[in-house]
Amino acid sequence: MELRVAHSLGLGLGLLLMGGLLVPRAGGQSTPVVVTTDTPEYCQKLLDRLGQAIHAATEPPPVEVSSLSTEGQRMCHAGLTRGGILRLRRALMILEEQAAVPP
Amino acid sequence: MVYAVLLALSAAALALYLWWATAGLLDRQTEAAIRADAQGLSERWDEGGLPALVLTIRERLEQNIDDDAIYLLVDPQMQQIAGNLRSWPSPVQRADVLYELAVTRAGAPALAQVQRYDLPGGFHLLIGRDVQARAKLRTLLTDALLWGLIVVAVMALAGAFIVRSLFRRTLANVSATAAAISAGDFSRRVRVSGRGDEFDQLAETINDMLDRIGRLMEGVREVSNAIAHDLRTPITRARARLEDAALHASTPDELHAAIERATDDLDGIVGVFQALLRISEIEAGSRRSAFTELDLAAVLADVAELYEPLAEAKGLRLVLDVPTAPSGSNAPVPMLRVRGDPEMLRQAVSNLTDNAIKFSPPGGEVRLSGVASPPWIEITVADQGPGIPPEDRSRAIERFFRGEAARSTPGSGLGLALVQAVAQLHGGTLRLEDARLEQAGPLEEAGRLEDVGRREDAGRGLRATLRLPATA
Repeated sequence: MELRVAHSLGLGLGLLLMGGLLVPRAGGQSTPVVVTTDTPEYCQKLLDRLGQAIHAATEPPPVEVSSLSTEGQRMCHAGLTRGGILRLRRALMILEEQAAVPP
Repeated sequence: MVYAVLLALSAAALALYLWWATAGLLDRQTEAAIRADAQGLSERWDEGGLPALVLTIRERLEQNIDDDAIYLLVDPQMQQIAGNLRSWPSPVQRADVLYELAVTRAGAPALAQVQRYDLPGGFHLLIGRDVQARAKLRTLLTDALLWGLIVVAVMALAGAFIVRSLFRRTLANVSATAAAISAGDFSRRVRVSGRGDEFDQLAETINDMLDRIGRLMEGVREVSNAIAHDLRTPITRARARLEDAALHASTPDELHAAIERATDDLDGIVGVFQALLRISEIEAGSRRSAFTELDLAAVLADVAELYEPLAEAKGLRLVLDVPTAPSGSNAPVPMLRVRGDPEMLRQAVSNLTDNAIKFSPPGGEVRLSGVASPPWIEITVADQGPGIPPEDRSRAIERFFRGEAARSTPGSGLGLALVQAVAQLHGGTLRLEDARLEQAGPLEEAGRLEDVGRREDAGRGLRATLRLPATA
């Protein structure tokens, strides 16, 4: 118990001395602001965007894009939203890079 | 205590530097990323206005592989136009400050660093980074450094306490000894713990110093006593003679004779003082400037020549044994070269020879020899007198020491003290030994015990060896 108190004290002192003085806290913030790019809705938006990009592409998408897209969609549906969004972003990046390279 | 504070401060400075170089670096990286992002978006705003900025924000969010970007573009009524924050955080009011903001990501609390940028037309842009992972790392680092600092401070205090106790105990020990000696108890010594550490070495050094001071004081006391004792007799004798002459001398001749005898006694006293002053002068090393390179063979020859008549008068044979030049060579070859004061060395050899002649029985032999035994030159004067018992030899070189055999012989007891002082001044030694075995030679050990018995009557003899460093 004493160790925990000392730990908290040390941590608090450290943050006050080192971290707290450098970056001001957003004091008085009642509720944290929600980040909307971690939601299933954003996942669906990315899936739509990916579909549009594949449709607009002149060449068939690489296999990796398809697999990332499928995996991302599956993860989003399974509730692993951030992981799914990450894969969909990768798939989009690959498509962007492919479009940027001249034939 | 001062050192403990200094150590703790040094440790704190080191911890602060480590924090700045690690956790601080993460903060600076985040700040730099936000600034670079702001620069890019500002260019897009300049190029295409609001639509271009909205598109860029959307693209950047879509391509944010690191999943840490935070944007929010709002209109003058603070309504969201683009970005991934649901609403404008009310605490973020100033444009020139980097805020630490609590956010919710996928239902979990997280930490972000954000900065506000005001755009033309009343639009506002918020750019930030999710720093939850970095904050955790920073907390870990801060925590570790603080704990390290606490441990260092505690150890510094404990170390300071232990060292202070050690010093206090040692200094109290030394102080008590010094106080006791100041109060007159010269027998007190600093206590040695027996641990063999530096404090013990210090205590032993102080004790050695006190022992030496004690010996020197004892020597001074003995010399003072000896001077008082040895001078009282001739002064009393001179006084008695003068008094007797004043009372009873009937003729001027008797009076003159008494005055002459008293003058002789007083000359003896002056001689003692001169010898004492000379020993002091030699011990002080003030004569070192007169050092020169010389051949001791010549010195030995001079002394032998000087004492030859005296030896003959006492019926003694004075034998000189020094290295000679190789046959066929006419030039003298210096074999016993040393660096020293010729006058002093002559005086030392003379003292040894004078002693040998004084204590040798008639018919005996005094051998004066020199030999090179690199890196030393050894001058030996051996006699067949009573010698000096082993227990007296270490004291024989002290001023005014007179052994049992010398009680009846005239002398002041300063001769060997002067030789010892000369030897020390020249970086050499004076060794006193029995001369009997050396005189008897190897045959004695083979069974000529009869001869030994005869020599026992004559005394053990003394061999005084003056050993001096040879020159290259």
